Amino acid sequence: MKAITVKNGFFFITLFMATITISAQTAEEILKMTDEVTYAPDDQVSSTIITLIDKNGSESVRKAEMKQKGRSMRLTRFTAPASQAGIAFLSLPGDVMYIYLPAFGRERRIASHVKNQSFAGTDFTYEDMEAVPFSEKFTPHLLETTGEHFILELTPREGIRSDYSKLVIYVNKEHYYSTRTEFYDRGGRKAKELTITSGKVQGFWAQKEMTMQDLVKNHTTRIAVENISFNNDLDDSEFTVRKLVQQ
Amino acid sequence: MKTNRFIFFALLLIPFAGKPLQGQEQQMSIRGSWTSDQRIRMHDPYPWSWSENRLDLGLKKNFSDKASFQADVWLRSFGFPFLTSTDQLFNKDESSPYNLDIREAWLDLYGFLLPQMDLRIGRQVITWGRGDRLNPTRSLNPLDLEDVWDFGRYHGVEAVKLDYYLNNDFFLQGVYVPFFRPATLPRGDLSAAFSGQFGAMPGTGKMQVSDSLILPELRPASSSSFGFKAGGFLLGFDLSVSYALTHDGLPLPSSAVVSLTDTVGNMMVQTELIFPRYHIAGADLAGSLAGIGIWAEGAMLVPAEEYLLNTDLSSIGLPGIESVALEKKPFFRYLIGADYTFRDGSYLNFQFLHGFFHERGKGNLNDYFIVEWQKKLFRDRLSISPVSGAFVVGDWKDIGNDFALVWAPVIKYFPNDNTELGIGVRLIGGKGNTAFAGMKDRDEVFGKAVFYF
Repeated sequence: MKAITVKNGFFFITLFMATITISAQTAEEILKMTDEVTYAPDDQVSSTIITLIDKNGSESVRKAEMKQKGRSMRLTRFTAPASQAGIAFLSLPGDVMYIYLPAFGRERRIASHVKNQSFAGTDFTYEDMEAVPFSEKFTPHLLETTGEHFILELTPREGIRSDYSKLVIYVNKEHYYSTRTEFYDRGGRKAKELTITSGKVQGFWAQKEMTMQDLVKNHTTRIAVENISFNNDLDDSEFTVRKLVQQ
Repeated sequence: MKTNRFIFFALLLIPFAGKPLQGQEQQMSIRGSWTSDQRIRMHDPYPWSWSENRLDLGLKKNFSDKASFQADVWLRSFGFPFLTSTDQLFNKDESSPYNLDIREAWLDLYGFLLPQMDLRIGRQVITWGRGDRLNPTRSLNPLDLEDVWDFGRYHGVEAVKLDYYLNNDFFLQGVYVPFFRPATLPRGDLSAAFSGQFGAMPGTGKMQVSDSLILPELRPASSSSFGFKAGGFLLGFDLSVSYALTHDGLPLPSSAVVSLTDTVGNMMVQTELIFPRYHIAGADLAGSLAGIGIWAEGAMLVPAEEYLLNTDLSSIGLPGIESVALEKKPFFRYLIGADYTFRDGSYLNFQFLHGFFHERGKGNLNDYFIVEWQKKLFRDRLSISPVSGAFVVGDWKDIGNDFALVWAPVIKYFPNDNTELGIGVRLIGGKGNTAFAGMKDRDEVFGKAVFYF
């Protein structure tokens, strides 16, 4: 009986401590954990199948190959459809972006005015596609803790230009990967919703499928990520204009 | 013969299409587009002015990550048959004109000799400059002005291009072009607007003009061109400087013999034309200021010598005239541009250009304000460019009598990802001596269909 009491007491103390630990986690810490999980690999190589679905259910498909290193270097090269095949985007730190258009045979610098524009006709904007950690751009506030999620409200930090007034993200309490993001426009209206299906690859959590729904335009983009490989020891030279123009 | 070449070429492609080459890991890929471009003039008698059906084939073969072969080939049914006798009806080459144009065909060797060095060899366009389809510094390729409305089209030239990357941000480039290739002038009656014409002398009747071209000799010292470029990324801007010694692809009169052809004053002028050589120093930059994309490009052109025009009037009893066709004085072509995408998704592109591609010599360069405002609708299914065109100033002191205005609104519809259907008009007005003012009676409606595969 005594032993049982001790055992029960230990259980309750452990549960109490765990509860204290979770509730003691600040929104900043949770967001930092999310960023750490999201950007844990040094680099990533993957193929993506992007499906655009309009309000009538008609679908059109784009395909792309993607390489990413760290938090701010990314090279995306479209392979389909034929009208976009060969078009490539290079994102570098400091909002430096280039596009390569095969028809012109050279790279072209893209200014940051495109950030609020649709990326390649999808429901993602260039800003959505940025590989910038949440904690660098947004100030978090813990809205709610449910059995499965921390729900954080993110507002742009002072001096950060964003097309959104706020984001609401759902962070999985077990692995800290975000599973859902709601985007609110500058008028405070919920404009888009992103749901993420994730899974473990090579020991890292990875986005396997993302579905962005534009609630205003009633249009959806689904991105399926395939052939993911992490920590490929990619050199910085893979993310240069030299590589961008090499087909 | 042409037909045989066409069939031979087509057969050549078939084994590569979608099948792996024997012994090679990767496939030769063929991508491309089909374009139908038809134009009709808007003035009586409303003639068709352009008819083109073009198959643009892009061939690509990568050999691991160390080498890549690419080619761009046009197969075209082009223009209208000019038939004057029934004999020509027996010749399909004349009754149904077409042509084959190997625009580019080159081999890239990455990490050539040194890991930081890339070599490109073969027919290629040396894509210097930051301007949007107008590039004052792009001088090593001759212009292809066949379609004057397709600005920025250049002929590929046989060349060797070597790039050396000092690091991830800076590079050096050297280009050698062994053979001279002239520009292609605008097709049909538009050529008159871009090439100087001899006006009739007072008191004379019609003037016949014939000419002969004097091409540079086919030896390295005469026919070759070369250039160097250094560039990189600094303080948020892409910058480069360049130098080239090259021929102008557009001819310049060097001598003229004027003679009477009859007793009523009709005259003939026989001219010889050469291709002047220039030293060209260039610089360009591109970047972003307050979210607005900006770019600038400038080229100082110095003729290699003073080019004279000797006019022989002895057959009409007058002394000869020696005049300067092109002074050995530097002149400066430059361009500045900016673009911006507004919150509603509309896109504005503006460029100011001093000195169009055919204008040369100090004091002979006009100013061009080029603008396009484009809006995409229905999730990019429809694109409209209601504000698209150029304003040209020939003489700022007499702008009312020396200007041109081109307005070319376009609507494009994209029924699916790989199809583009466009229709538009080109309205041209102006006075004076600018090339576009000379095209003022050539307003046209155009329709274009493009399918990518």
